[in-house]
Order: sequence, then structure tokens, then C-alpha cells
Amino acid sequence: MSATPAHPSTTTPEMDKAERALIDESTRIPVLLFFGSAVFWLLVGTLFALLASFKMNAPHFLDQWGWLTFGRVRPAHLNAVAYGWAAPAGIGVALWLMARLCRTPLRHSKLLICAALFWNIGILLGIFGILSGDGRSIEWLEFPNYASLMLFVAFGLIAVWAVIMFRFRQPGHVYVSQWYLLAAFLWFPWLYSTANILLNFEPIQGGAQGAVNWWYGHNALGLWFTPIGLAAAYYFIPKVIGRPIHSYYLSILGFWSLALFYSWNGMHHLIGGPFPAWMVSASVVASVMMFIPVITTAINHHMTVRGNFGALKWSPTLRFTVFGAMCYTLSSVQGSLMAIPSLNKVTHFTHYTVGHAHLGLYAFFTMIMFGSMYYITPRIVGWEWPSARLIRWHFWLVAIGIGVMVVALTIGGILQGIALLDPGITFMATLDYTKPWLLLRSGSGILLTAGHIVFAVSFTLLLLKAGSKRTEPTLFGSDQGRKPESLVP
Amino acid sequence: MNAIVYILLAAGLVFFGGSTLAAFYWAAKTGQFRNLEDGSKSIFDHDEPVGTATDAFADKTGDRPLRRGAIALNS
Repeated sequence: MSATPAHPSTTTPEMDKAERALIDESTRIPVLLFFGSAVFWLLVGTLFALLASFKMNAPHFLDQWGWLTFGRVRPAHLNAVAYGWAAPAGIGVALWLMARLCRTPLRHSKLLICAALFWNIGILLGIFGILSGDGRSIEWLEFPNYASLMLFVAFGLIAVWAVIMFRFRQPGHVYVSQWYLLAAFLWFPWLYSTANILLNFEPIQGGAQGAVNWWYGHNALGLWFTPIGLAAAYYFIPKVIGRPIHSYYLSILGFWSLALFYSWNGMHHLIGGPFPAWMVSASVVASVMMFIPVITTAINHHMTVRGNFGALKWSPTLRFTVFGAMCYTLSSVQGSLMAIPSLNKVTHFTHYTVGHAHLGLYAFFTMIMFGSMYYITPRIVGWEWPSARLIRWHFWLVAIGIGVMVVALTIGGILQGIALLDPGITFMATLDYTKPWLLLRSGSGILLTAGHIVFAVSFTLLLLKAGSKRTEPTLFGSDQGRKPESLVP
Repeated sequence: MNAIVYILLAAGLVFFGGSTLAAFYWAAKTGQFRNLEDGSKSIFDHDEPVGTATDAFADKTGDRPLRRGAIALNS
């Protein structure tokens, strides 16, 4: 059997349009539940981020309360933004994309509503647990067991739903985004449950915990957030500019090479640690092999947008998504280089790694999620974004904010790393090198916070259908950047 | 750690590793790796064909925004 075309020639534009509208509408409640909770947790997570950052500048700031000490606020920030914001935003985008790509209205929405409830209760319990001193000292898995169980149930429900949706899809080609989404939906519950069992429920012994910890920590980024981010980029970039992906062959190669190499990467966090050399070496090799999926994706996205960069002037979705796609390349190349032991010696245990994490999870993933939400939300609510000015403010605040943060932490981290390697410099003196850069980081945090508030206001106004109904999409400026129709062959 | 947990984890490894291989086999067998040119166009339809920018939304009443512009298709 060979794949049949997705849209048989028997359909008319009106039929296609009605089908698309029906599918979009069917996703409304579950997708909005995930988007709404994501925006809420984004604000909460940002507040924790600011607090944690300020404590780097003034260590005694708000330390009279145990629940606001750095050791609790920092994991509360990580978990609120990773599991509270990034994951639900990604799930919302993935649900909508699955329905569109399967070309079938969303089925079993109650399953997803249940998952959203479990999810939010899990995050609430988890954050509360961390703040009250119940958190675990395992990075990326700080939530206490009662919270991670809730998240696992939610993940499981969503995975079951994804399989059902795929089973009932319209016949035809399985687009590359769908491969990424299915992989994310199936891999993550397994990753999450295995890591939790081996670290929290039936803990394994000693050093092996470190291996499991980073197998999970890195794969959460690589096999959960990355596939969802790339699935969105592979859909929205061609869709917005109306041009198929440059090389579909490369996109397929990119997916399967990611599937092959990424899960080996985690051990590069343990370079120099008490682990068998082969584990670390295999991971370093796999990290360098990641150049294959990364370069294929970079070529593909660049060549698809080439000739249409003017569209970045008017399309909010494209501007955020292309920014994110570019940062995917940057952050992945940086990640592969950081796995090389001679460089890792300098950057490990410094703020450089924190800058890299933000380049990946924020500049890449979060920006693509913002772009996707700008495309999806008006279509499922049936109402346009209230103001192009708010979107513009949102973009520039967060783009400049994350840019400054990554640069500050990168420079500060390198200085810190070089100082740490110098036996003539005391540990306390190494910290002095980081102070101005940490101050700059707090400044960038204020910009990001302002950007998130603008986004939350814009999102709320849209949900409330504030103002008069717009008959045109909210784009930046006028038709500038669009090519005249005569150019189309 | 008890044996049941080990068995469960090993079963998970076999199941998820196996399902990835099975998916690859299925994709090759059902022609997903053929006609890639057509595959890349599967996100377009007759209402939003190749060559039409779509950062606008359609609703059921049909008051579709009119700002769907044409874009350059040169390579």
C-alpha cells in the first residue's frame, strides 16, 4: 500500500475550509484548558525566577522565611516553567496539530479534560511540596512522589488519546510533525515513569542515580520538548508562508537521526564523574552526532523561509517561530560543543550551563510555543488578538530579554569557569567574576517578566473577546513585506 | 529493589524500543518514505493551497479575512 495524497482532488475549497473549521472547533476546550493553565504557571514560574535571580545579587533577600529560600525557590521556578508552562503549552499545541494532521475532529475530549485536571493538581501539589520543604534533591525531578504520580496519570491519558487519534486518522501521508508528536507522546511517559521509579519509588544505589538522573534530564529536553517544538516549526513555517518544506527528505532524516542519537546524550553531564569511561564516551560521540539532525533541520528551515524573510515583518506566528527555530540550531550546536571534554572542563558547574538551558528551553521552545499560540488561539476561539501593538511589545521584550540573559550568563560562566580552574584564585574570589553578569541577568529577567505580563493580558483579552470583532487578522503593520501576486507562477 | 520493578522496566524498554523499530518498519512498508514531494504538501488543501500565506483565521460563517496574500515561490 502506498500513501495516498492527503487531500483528494474530489474536495472543493469550501469543503476543505469547512472541514478545517470543524476540526479546529473540536479542539477548543482541551486546548484552551492547557493554554490557560500554561499562561498562569508561566506567570508563577517567572515570579520564582525573578526571586531566585535577585537572591544571586542579594543573598539575604527574603530569607527570613524558609519557604522562600534559594534552595526552594529555584526548583519551584524550574518545575513551574518546565512542567507548568512549557509542557502544557506544548501539549495544547500538540493536541491541535494532531487533530489537524490526522484530519479528524478531536475525539474523547473528556480524556484530555481529565488529563488537564490531573496535570494542574499535580503541579499545584508539586510546587507546594517543594516550597514546604518536601522536594527531592534531584534536578528536573524535584516534585514529591504524590505530585509526580498525578503528572504520570495525565501523561498516560494523553498518550492513550494520541494513539486513538492516530488510529482514526484520515488515510494519507503521515506528515513529519506527526512523527515528532507521536514520538514525544509515547517516549515521555516511559521516560518519566522509569526515572521516577528508579530514583524516587525504588531508588537504585549510589552513582547510578546520577546516570539515571541525567538520562532523564537530558531526554526530557530532547525527546519531549524538542520534538514538540520541531513539530510546530515544521508545520507553522511552511503553513504561514504557503510554501512546502524545502527538503522533505532532510526532515525525515532529521527525525530518525534524532530518535537514534538523542537518548544517548545525557551522560555528557557526567564528564569527570565516577562513571565507566565508555558511558561518558558513548554519550560524547552521540552528542557530536546530533549535528546531523540539527544541521538538516537548520538547512530545511532556512531554505524554506529564504526569499520570504519579509513575512517576518507582518506575521507574529512566523516571527516567534523563526526566532525559535534559529535558536534551536544555536542551542543544539552549543550543546554538542559543550559535550567535548576540553570545553566541558571550563563550562561545567558554571552559569554557562544555565545560559545554555535558557537558550534551549526559552529561546527555542518557548518562543515557538508563543508563535504557535498566536496562530492557534484565534482559530479555536473565533476571535482575533486584541492588539498588534501588544504582540509587538511581547516579542521585543522577550527577545531582548532572553538575548541579554544568554549573553550575560555565557560570558559570566566562561569567566567563572576559567577562575575555577585556576588554583591561585580562591573559591570566594571566583564568585566576584560573576557578580556584574548576574546583575545583568536580573535585568533581563525584568524584561522577560514584563513580556509575559503583556502576553497574559493579550491572551486574557482574547478569551474575553474584548472590544469589537475584528474582521482582519492581527498582523504587524500593513501589507509591507508581501510580494505582489504576479510573482506567483 | 524487587524483581517486579526490574521486570516492569525491562518490559518497558523492550516495548518502547520495539515500537520505535515497528514504526520505522511500518513507515517503510506503507510507502511513507516514497513520494516525499507530495508528502511535504499534505498540510495544504484546496482552500489554503501552496502559494497562499495563511496567518489569518477562517470561521464557519465565512467572513474570512481578506488579507491572505500571495508569496514568492522561487527557490
